[in-house]
Amino acid sequence: MNPGAPGDALASASLALARSFHGGATLWCWSPTWPSHADHVAVEFVHPVIVGKPALPSVAVRSREAADRLRSAALSGDVVVVIGDGGDLAIADVVQRAPAWGVESIWLAFGHPPPGDTGAHVVWLGADAGQADVVCAYHLLWELTHVCLEHPGVLEVGPTGDTISCPACMDAGDLGEIQSLGCANDTDAAVMVGGLTQPVDLSLVGSCEPGDLIVVHAGVALTKLAVSVHD
Amino acid sequence: MTERTGFLYPFLDDAVDDPAALLDDLARSAAGKWAESLELRASSLEDLEGALTGAALALAVRVAAGGRVLVFGNGGSATDAEAFAQNCLDASPRPIPALCLASEPAVLTALANDIGVDAIFARQVAAHGRGHDVVVAFSTSGGSTNVLAALDRARALGLETVGIVGYGGGAMQAHVDHCLAVRSDSVHRIQEAQTAIAEALIAAASQHVQNLEGDR
Repeated sequence: MNPGAPGDALASASLALARSFHGGATLWCWSPTWPSHADHVAVEFVHPVIVGKPALPSVAVRSREAADRLRSAALSGDVVVVIGDGGDLAIADVVQRAPAWGVESIWLAFGHPPPGDTGAHVVWLGADAGQADVVCAYHLLWELTHVCLEHPGVLEVGPTGDTISCPACMDAGDLGEIQSLGCANDTDAAVMVGGLTQPVDLSLVGSCEPGDLIVVHAGVALTKLAVSVHD
Repeated sequence: MTERTGFLYPFLDDAVDDPAALLDDLARSAAGKWAESLELRASSLEDLEGALTGAALALAVRVAAGGRVLVFGNGGSATDAEAFAQNCLDASPRPIPALCLASEPAVLTALANDIGVDAIFARQVAAHGRGHDVVVAFSTSGGSTNVLAALDRARALGLETVGIVGYGGGAMQAHVDHCLAVRSDSVHRIQEAQTAIAEALIAAASQHVQNLEGDR
């Protein structure tokens, strides 16, 4: 049974997307199950159906390996809209890592319910949602985003203070993704935090590998986080 | 100056700067359009019951005889065509061979550059089309000249033609054997209904192909 119209979730996601476009973002679109829908979202934004609406930057990610593509191609402040099953671990993995790349996520989810605290703007379309529901959801995302863009009063946002806490000591920090190890010495790593790569001291967290997610505060890794496992 | 969406949102004041009030209005509007979309999909499937049966049978007869589906459209309809091809290949109980003519940037840009956009799809139909093939065209307006030209080329080659179209059928009605038309003039609602129609067509055709093959 479907949960009914996802009006509130679409409205919040649209406002977030409009604010990001206002700040210069590119929208990345990824639909691993039905790749053509990512292309459809991109053409909606780049070449609007209503004549005279502004063209907004949007690109489809065709690869199943969206993480590699977004990590290298997306810029801090960009947004990714993902269309896919809430139980897809590859999607959960991208959504979890996205803040380290400085990228905000919108997940149009169907099938299995998505995990609780993903950090994404989740728009839940229901267990039985089909492709027509998905198309309707991204059409409305496009439309509501343009409505928000016509109301400049709602677009300015202050610093978000988007920090996470170390589960052990509750110290605040930022999500970091380890890019490579040992750039200066054995306990040093190059870590991407909010889209920028910086040296981080790993001595408090023990052995790490590239791809691991850590909580970073003042150049020091506080803890290592569990990651979504996928093949 | 950009065209405003004000006509879609007469209740919104341009000067609004309270995000909570805006979100409230947008959520209500989205819920209304969601319901409208569901209703149009249901009524379209009901109105088109006979036409869908005819198109699915004709498509199945061609495929059972060794034909394929060639599918195309412009813009958002190009992506709908690509979804159609993928859904054909994934169809159960019997996959349907399908090619999307809108998914090849090298061919599309070559044709646009060397001949012109009106050759896009018609030239590909000429290259790919064989006796038992079926052409499926997506258009919201029904008036895209390159799509109509490709349909005419397909008919000249003796292919079966199916149009999945909005605005009650538009000009396309006169260019196809089977016209599956949505009665709406909202491009987005039309595309959502077209998606539902396409799924119904593929599901029925897949079953018919299996039945035809089983009767041999």
